[in-house]
Amino acid sequence: MIITWRIGLRIALIVVVTIVLQISFFSYLSFFGTTPNVIPLMVVSLGLLGGGMIGAVCGFAAGLLLDSALLQTLGVSSLVLLGAGYLAGRYREGAEFSNSLIPPLLAGVLTTAAAAGFAAIQLMLGVHTPVSLLVLREIFVQGLLAVLLTIPIYPLIRWALRPAIVDDLTVLGARSPITRGASRAGRARGRRIRRAAGVS
Amino acid sequence: MYRKQVRRRRAILVLLVVAALVLLSTQFSEREGGPLHSMQRAVASVFGPMEEGATRALKPARDLINWFDETFKARGENDDLRSELQQLRTQLVQAQSAEGENKQLRELLGIDREGTLAGYTPVTARVIGRSPTVWYSTVTVDKGSSAGVKMNDPVVTGDGLAGRITDVTGGTAVVSLITDDRSAVSARVLPDGPEGVAEPEVGDPSDLLLDFIDKSQPIHRGQILVTAGWSNGAISSAFPPGIPIGKVSETVVGDQQAFQRVHVTPYADIRGLDFVQVATGGPKRPGVPG
Repeated sequence: MIITWRIGLRIALIVVVTIVLQISFFSYLSFFGTTPNVIPLMVVSLGLLGGGMIGAVCGFAAGLLLDSALLQTLGVSSLVLLGAGYLAGRYREGAEFSNSLIPPLLAGVLTTAAAAGFAAIQLMLGVHTPVSLLVLREIFVQGLLAVLLTIPIYPLIRWALRPAIVDDLTVLGARSPITRGASRAGRARGRRIRRAAGVS
Repeated sequence: MYRKQVRRRRAILVLLVVAALVLLSTQFSEREGGPLHSMQRAVASVFGPMEEGATRALKPARDLINWFDETFKARGENDDLRSELQQLRTQLVQAQSAEGENKQLRELLGIDREGTLAGYTPVTARVIGRSPTVWYSTVTVDKGSSAGVKMNDPVVTGDGLAGRITDVTGGTAVVSLITDDRSAVSARVLPDGPEGVAEPEVGDPSDLLLDFIDKSQPIHRGQILVTAGWSNGAISSAFPPGIPIGKVSETVVGDQQAFQRVHVTPYADIRGLDFVQVATGGPKRPGVPG
């Protein structure tokens, strides 16, 4: 991803809008007794599009804003979300994926991991609760909901950041490594061109 | 060049992790009103109006989505409510006669008829934000210290007790719900049942637990739980007595145990709060900071 100040502004806007929507809209919804959490999947999407560093920085910032807005313990969400964003970005940097199901599945796995990490930190901080089926169900259903919600949200974030995504720049003449049907040669050519252009 | 880039990336990552850990530990050791808390309140004040606007604008969409979930649940609840209605009709007749007697006795004693929150000034507030995790059962409301809201003020809904104020900014306040892990409400089982402390089953907004109740005192499904307003002169509960909390849904008595665990379903719809009332300016309760 090519980061300019305009793109930085767009990313900041995505983070703020997602947090406001989570607090004011998604947190009021209930599916199978669980509230969907779109913040981890937004961070995962940014990591997948921008790489490890962007994922980590956005995760940290999103966590900090969320904890501040809700007057929760500062640092807990930041720690968990920066991990999720970084891992998503590392996956994108290290592996080529041609299947459109990968972003939702990855978001599901990392959201589940983030929820489990959040639970672990809370327990370490002294929340008095047994590790019950209730908590495990909550974590599992949140992951499942993340898979479903990523299907519309990931393309939306990708669309918002389209001008910065190297794979979408036709001037580079490279086929996207995450476009379905990209050939092995096309992906290799894309890698060469991106390397030559000095972008991740 | 590549190595330099990798080193820089690692440094940023380590910096972020360290920053998160420092924030976490500093805020834990910091007293209320410290610089981190002040910074957090400032950010919350900025987010407050945005949350309020979004909450209002998105209410129709939210209601539409929740309608499907509620319709599904309502089918199951219908049968339970029918049988409960029959019980309540009987209780209503008894209550009406008791109320008549009560009124006469109060008049005899020269006491005015007062509500449970007599002496408090109720401030109606809109819920503008809530946490997405089961670990924080808190909501943010759109009234703060400028409307007279103070720490530890009781918060109620039309159905019963919802929680108490645990953080206040100028225009917003945080309500820790009765299902929050840190919540403990001194409670009494009506009509003449024992007193105990109602604590949450964390993550389940439809269950409270009244633990360590002597099993020689029988408690039955459907009995009502109200705040006890416990006080020993030096310290007291933040809640005045008589606020309805919920009704007993199940009583569990272990074979080898001397105590029973009483499960209580809160009257307040904790997941669906839109408006609440903050009871402000009440009488000073000993030991309750506010």
